[in-house]
Amino acid sequence: MKQMKTSLKQAGLFAVLVAALMLPAGPAIAHHGFADYDMTRQLTVSGKVRAFQWTNPHTWLWLDVPNGKGGTTLYAFEGMSPNYLGRRGWTRESLKPGDQITVNFFPFKDPKKKGGTLAFAKKPNGEEFNNFVPAGAK
Amino acid sequence: MIVALASALFASVAPAQTWLNFKRPTPTAADWAALGKLPDFTGVWEEPLGGGGSLVVKPGAAKQVRNETTAKSKFPTFHMPPPPSLTPDWAAKVDALKAHAAEDNPQANCLPNGMPAIMGMPYPYEFLLTPGQVTIIGEAYRMIRHIYTDGRTLPKDPTPTFWGTSVGHWEGDTLVAESVGFIPGTHIAPGIPHSAKMKIIERFRLIDANTMSIETTVIDPVALTRPYTTSRILKRYPNWTIDEYICEQNNRNSVTSSGKAEVDTMPPPPPPLGSDSNSQ
Repeated sequence: MKQMKTSLKQAGLFAVLVAALMLPAGPAIAHHGFADYDMTRQLTVSGKVRAFQWTNPHTWLWLDVPNGKGGTTLYAFEGMSPNYLGRRGWTRESLKPGDQITVNFFPFKDPKKKGGTLAFAKKPNGEEFNNFVPAGAK
Repeated sequence: MIVALASALFASVAPAQTWLNFKRPTPTAADWAALGKLPDFTGVWEEPLGGGGSLVVKPGAAKQVRNETTAKSKFPTFHMPPPPSLTPDWAAKVDALKAHAAEDNPQANCLPNGMPAIMGMPYPYEFLLTPGQVTIIGEAYRMIRHIYTDGRTLPKDPTPTFWGTSVGHWEGDTLVAESVGFIPGTHIAPGIPHSAKMKIIERFRLIDANTMSIETTVIDPVALTRPYTTSRILKRYPNWTIDEYICEQNNRNSVTSSGKAEVDTMPPPPPPLGSDSNSQ
């Protein structure tokens, strides 16, 4: 429960930073806007990591999520860059293919696209990897 | 004879002194020592929240989707500094542009932000002081700005660039940088292009040992009724190292020529045998 509270607090903090990044051509925009994403909703899914790209300008995570019918649906999540995350507790080994994780995300506006902008990923042991945190904080 | 001929030849082809070909004195030991008397800007800095303004967070709507659990979400609003005051002609032009606004910015295609936005990124900056020059390296888009403090004057007809052409001087403990010559695509503030007359004055100073204030004034007599000043605060991170940032490495975002934002979510093929890295 304590863990969950932390998650929500960090999700709120994430939202604050997303706001800074959503500005069209704003002073804080990093790489692109969020036209493809619905930043007003945050969803959660659990599944198995298929791939994790630790690359600029964004990290990308793919998750096979059980669809309830014996199969899986592939979700794709866009994250901040290695530069940004690397100063906030992440490494390129943070998420590995085969890892079972839970992901909070802001979904694609297009309902045919599964996934979205990463909020945070959580491992079964409670370890969390947040996509947006203030400088110097994990 | 040959030497004389050669030197005569070289003398005859030596170009006039220009911005890109500027004769500088070789720094002396005294020049290097003098740097120690300047404020200590050297090192890596970042704006803690990556942008100015104050933030207000409001509760947002939540919605259930099959196979997905909705988390509690907040929809924040971001309060920007007051916008610049535009001349009537420029305001009309800005309004006309809004009708054709693209869904995303050229940065989605990996073009860098121009000045002044490139100085407000949520990424760190490294300051280097050498004789006659302050160099600012921005991690995002591998920005490099050279602010010449060797007494040269700004060129009268600079080639327009993303980050402009800069000279600087010290007023006590404040570095005052003046920049001109920006490509048309850079903005004074979000959604507000500048004219060819834009000049940017930046005042850099330490407000304590590990805090830097940057006050940025945009002067543009065609676009603005009065100079537009914004400020930001950077913190020093003594342990940080600037990292590589090659935007083209794995850019899956784009904005088309008709202004539509797109994103490529195709997963990568399985890594080659023997690969131990996620950096594929």
